[in-house]
Amino acid sequence: MTGIPATLIPTGEDSFRLEAYLGRGGYEAARTVLLTKKPQEVMEEVKKANLRGRGGAGFPAGSKWAFVPQAGDLPKYLCVNADEGEPGTFKDRVIMTRDPHLLLEGIVLASYAVGIHTAFIYIRAEYESIARRLEAAIDEAREKGFLGAGIFGSGFDLEVLVHRGAGSYICGEETALLESIEGKRGWPRLKPPFPASVGLFRRPTVINNVETIANVPLIFRYGAEWFAGRGLPRDGGTRLFGVSGAVQKPGLYELPVGTPLRTIIYDWAGGPAAGQGIKAVVPGGLSAPFLTPGELDIPMDYESLARARSMLGSAGIIVIGDRTPIIDILRIVARFYAHESCGQCTPCRIGTTWISKIADRIGAGGGAPDDLDLIRHLAQGMKGKTLCPMGDAAALPVLSIVEKFGKELGETISRGAERR
Amino acid sequence: MISIQVDGRALQVPPGTTVLKAAEQMGIVIPRFCYHPAFEPEGSCRMCLVEIEGLPKLDLACSTVVREGMKIWTSTPKVIEARKDVLAFLLADHPLDCPICDKAGECFLQDYYDKHGRYASRFSEVKEKKRKKIPIGKGLLLDRERCVLCTRCVRFLRRVTGTGELGVFERGVKAEIGIGEGMAIRNNYSGNLVDICPVGAITDGDFRFKTRAWFLEKGRTVCPRCSRGCNIVIHAVRGYPLPGRQRRIYRIVPAENPEVNGYWICDFGRYGYHDIEDNRLTTIVLRTDGRPEEKTSDWKDVITGLAADIKKTVENGRSSRMAVVLNGYLTNEELAACRRIFVDTLGLRNIFFADPKPGEADGILLTADRAPNGRGAAALGFSPTLPEPESPPGSTDLLIVFGLHLLEHLPAEKAAAWFKQAGKTYLLAATSSVLDRAADVVLPTALPAEKKGSYTNIAGLTQSFECAVPAPRGSLPEAEILARLAAELGVELG
Repeated sequence: MTGIPATLIPTGEDSFRLEAYLGRGGYEAARTVLLTKKPQEVMEEVKKANLRGRGGAGFPAGSKWAFVPQAGDLPKYLCVNADEGEPGTFKDRVIMTRDPHLLLEGIVLASYAVGIHTAFIYIRAEYESIARRLEAAIDEAREKGFLGAGIFGSGFDLEVLVHRGAGSYICGEETALLESIEGKRGWPRLKPPFPASVGLFRRPTVINNVETIANVPLIFRYGAEWFAGRGLPRDGGTRLFGVSGAVQKPGLYELPVGTPLRTIIYDWAGGPAAGQGIKAVVPGGLSAPFLTPGELDIPMDYESLARARSMLGSAGIIVIGDRTPIIDILRIVARFYAHESCGQCTPCRIGTTWISKIADRIGAGGGAPDDLDLIRHLAQGMKGKTLCPMGDAAALPVLSIVEKFGKELGETISRGAERR
Repeated sequence: MISIQVDGRALQVPPGTTVLKAAEQMGIVIPRFCYHPAFEPEGSCRMCLVEIEGLPKLDLACSTVVREGMKIWTSTPKVIEARKDVLAFLLADHPLDCPICDKAGECFLQDYYDKHGRYASRFSEVKEKKRKKIPIGKGLLLDRERCVLCTRCVRFLRRVTGTGELGVFERGVKAEIGIGEGMAIRNNYSGNLVDICPVGAITDGDFRFKTRAWFLEKGRTVCPRCSRGCNIVIHAVRGYPLPGRQRRIYRIVPAENPEVNGYWICDFGRYGYHDIEDNRLTTIVLRTDGRPEEKTSDWKDVITGLAADIKKTVENGRSSRMAVVLNGYLTNEELAACRRIFVDTLGLRNIFFADPKPGEADGILLTADRAPNGRGAAALGFSPTLPEPESPPGSTDLLIVFGLHLLEHLPAEKAAAWFKQAGKTYLLAATSSVLDRAADVVLPTALPAEKKGSYTNIAGLTQSFECAVPAPRGSLPEAEILARLAAELGVELG
């Protein structure tokens, strides 16, 4: 860290207000960029900062923007993904609540870089008060000329619209999100074509997570080198780690990318809850394969977690205490994906529910000896074979639970059989 | 052209070809539910996954476009396993009611299980319960338990008819096809939903429980119910399980023809099969003044009599008192024979046409002209005109009428009166009507589905067809009657 304080999440009652944001140097980066830099330079700067997507997949943001064709007068769109449906994830809501103008400034910069004049913030229905806060912030910014026509007198126009979802997990998937904005059923689209070429209303579209976009102003405020230097060589900046579950101090911690999981849990979140040890940890939102207590020294970055056959995902860390039966976790995980499967493709539609029914049966004492093998088989039948990433999202945590906690699950099944 | 390999065999295909279509060119049929050639790939059933060398995951055959040098494998262990998995998923909640399902025998799910499944079921949970027998309009019934959610029906109604009556409601395993609030399927293309449903989720009340798919014999022909000339297949049963040597038609389905009807037919054409089955004439009826009606099957005698009547009229110099009424349902061959006999040889001037009354075009396939061969008649030099309501037949010695469409243009009593006023009336018709009793001689004919010949459609395309179902015993196609008549008259038909 370089001495400049972490700035994604300001503190203070009124941190969300425009005056407060301006007091923190807000909109200066955007003003300077719009008046002095070419869009291409903005994109290059973001590439140099090694900013990777914060939504889950970790795609380099600058490259994503560069996929959008620059030619043509027809509209292009930016969609900011504020659906934040991943269980264990609660970072975007904090950014939007405490610092909505940081997000708006990021939207201005990203839109300028790609040549976009209409941006949508797709926000989940449960965040109604945040949606209203965003709308108020947009009004404030428009009034000051930070949004709307000719921003900062630069001749660059941008409108930002808040679009409320209806509470579906799958609408956080980027193409389902596009369908939802278009007013259709939130079903993921078949790719290709990718949104960068055929996106919202069939126009080229950039879709970025809230945290990704909120990082952009920092790159221009403090420089790409500064930003890149805060993280790892190919993964710049900080991450907002949301720690929940059986810890002393659950909360949101902004730390450099690559901070070891053990440091986050023990040094920042105060270690496991009183009287408990750790049984398992979900490192990056519920879709990330589970880790065991033996895997806590892993650095929290995309590549390290991929090597451990898990993922950084949304960096939502869920700590499961050792008093929690793992079958309860399996049931909750399975039920969540069964409930949220959109129903479009076969393996996910039926596989998630099938697994959920088996897990419930085991939990109720009705497990059969080959149930774990069947769950593994069904999860394999979904993994890599569904239309959208949700098949993997549903299969991977289940597979990791069965693999890493098979012994305990086997005992649960035997106990149930003995009682019958 | 792009060079690829499918299952180790080299193949050249045009750019833009999908893996599924490329494989099809080699005779490899990749199983699919949601894919339908009329629509963009949907990619949701996941049945068509294949292995492409160099790619970590299986890929969709329906949507993956071939690239130079691509090596595709359609039945590796991984592919076979993936297909089994998809089938196991689909069959988990499926009611397995094939014995009472109309689709049995032509069901993708059933066929694929037989070909690609054959695993021992591991499903021991409680199946999802869903509504069955839901009326969705025009006699169609939806069974949500059988549905595999391929959404072909939904897409058909959005993209072909543009009516959008069906949609997907709920989500996950509860996701189901449903009908929009206050809507019912009322469009003229509803029957296609049954055809494109890969399973027994949408069945047709008209066909339901009447026969089994494996009894059906299929004959391709051209739909005669308008001038579009849609290609159709008649599904009929002959022999077992019907008593005696009967045949019965159970349904008409579209035959694919990209130049004419694509994959569809309209309901007006589809349900026209009832015309083929109902009230058929099967014996020749003779009425001679003062003698009781006589029924016969002696075609030779009757055609000799017709030839004699014609000759007598002509030889008496009374050709102008002889009239023939043709129609646009006759094939090009039949019309050509009529032209040869009645116009070129006999020089008759009183040649009329009585066609079905025009209807409304529906903007998709159905045309306003409801005769299949109006263009063919015009090409043969006929200028179809209805007989004047008052004049010709009343002052006619010999009247020869093909078909019953006169009844669409004038009241039945009037038409019958014409027949009575003529010296002698021959009626060539396939189905029974009020005109039977007015004619002196009734000759039972075959319907278009029972003939071979050709029609020229509204776009000027001439389409030949073979006999799709046998004509009822006792009837003859007009072509045959005309040929025999020509022989009797000594006319060369060429």
